Amino acid sequence: MARWFLRGLRRGVVTTRYPHRPDPEAARVPTPPAFDPARLTGALADQLVAVCPSGALERRGDTLVLDVGACTACQRCLPVAGAAGRPSGVFECAATDRDRLRVAIPIRGQHR
Amino acid sequence: MTRLLTPSPSDPAVAPTADQLRAQVGRLFGRSLYIRTVDTGSCAACESEIRLLAAPHYDLHRLGFFFTPAPRHADLLMVTGPGTTGMAHALRATHAAMPDPKVVVAVGACALGGVYRQADDLTHGGVTGLLPVDVLIPGCPPSPLALLQGLLVAVGRLAERIEPARFRIEGAEAP
Ligand code: SF4
Ligand code: SF4
Repeated sequence: MARWFLRGLRRGVVTTRYPHRPDPEAARVPTPPAFDPARLTGALADQLVAVCPSGALERRGDTLVLDVGACTACQRCLPVAGAAGRPSGVFECAATDRDRLRVAIPIRGQHR
Repeated sequence: MTRLLTPSPSDPAVAPTADQLRAQVGRLFGRSLYIRTVDTGSCAACESEIRLLAAPHYDLHRLGFFFTPAPRHADLLMVTGPGTTGMAHALRATHAAMPDPKVVVAVGACALGGVYRQADDLTHGGVTGLLPVDVLIPGCPPSPLALLQGLLVAVGRLAERIEPARFRIEGAEAP
């Protein structure tokens, strides 16, 4: 394996060091959204639920539930969310329990 | 003495728990683990990302993972697609043909029940209802890095990093 690695280095091709070091390419991977509870209003949450084509967003009272397992990271919710959302940058999403992928985001915004 | 063959997980009285299974698989196969993939109706993007794992940039062989076409030689089953009814039998037969202990990894939003949300005549709405799934890897498709992390979680070499706080933007100034 080391020989391949050295040959790769000589030719300018380097295998990722992940998981021992972060991979710089990870920043270019589309990731599920992150939302700001302080800017999230009920009306905005309803709009986000309506725009998500994968059904990954669900409103439960004062909580917006993001199902990371269903999210396709299409980012269609981000223009709607405006300042209340951005890509989370989390690509290490593996889970041993389906429910751990359902993330509750409190809706704390007062008005838009 | 290490028991190479564990009781079949279908017998709940003697089946190892998921954690025990993962620890055992990590101990036995931590650096030599064979993967069989089954496509249950994926769009092929998930499959393509899995193939990329063997490409020079990711080189999963350096981590001790290898692909095998034979279920009899496989320790880990990667399943993509929403579990089409036509593939259900083949999927179960593949799983049954694998020696114990074995780990099942569901790959992609389809397999996790995200794209086809309900079971109908054509799909089972994911594979979680078809097999005991040990590790779920979200994404549409998951990037090879996400797949690598999922594989390492499956053999207990990396911890899960899914935290609700990472999907909340806290501390931003009030609007
Ligand atoms: S990124 Fe796409 S799939 Fe994910 S929550 Fe937003 S709209 Fe839904
Ligand atoms: S999860 Fe997405 S990429 Fe994977 S098979 Fe389904 S539609 Fe295709």
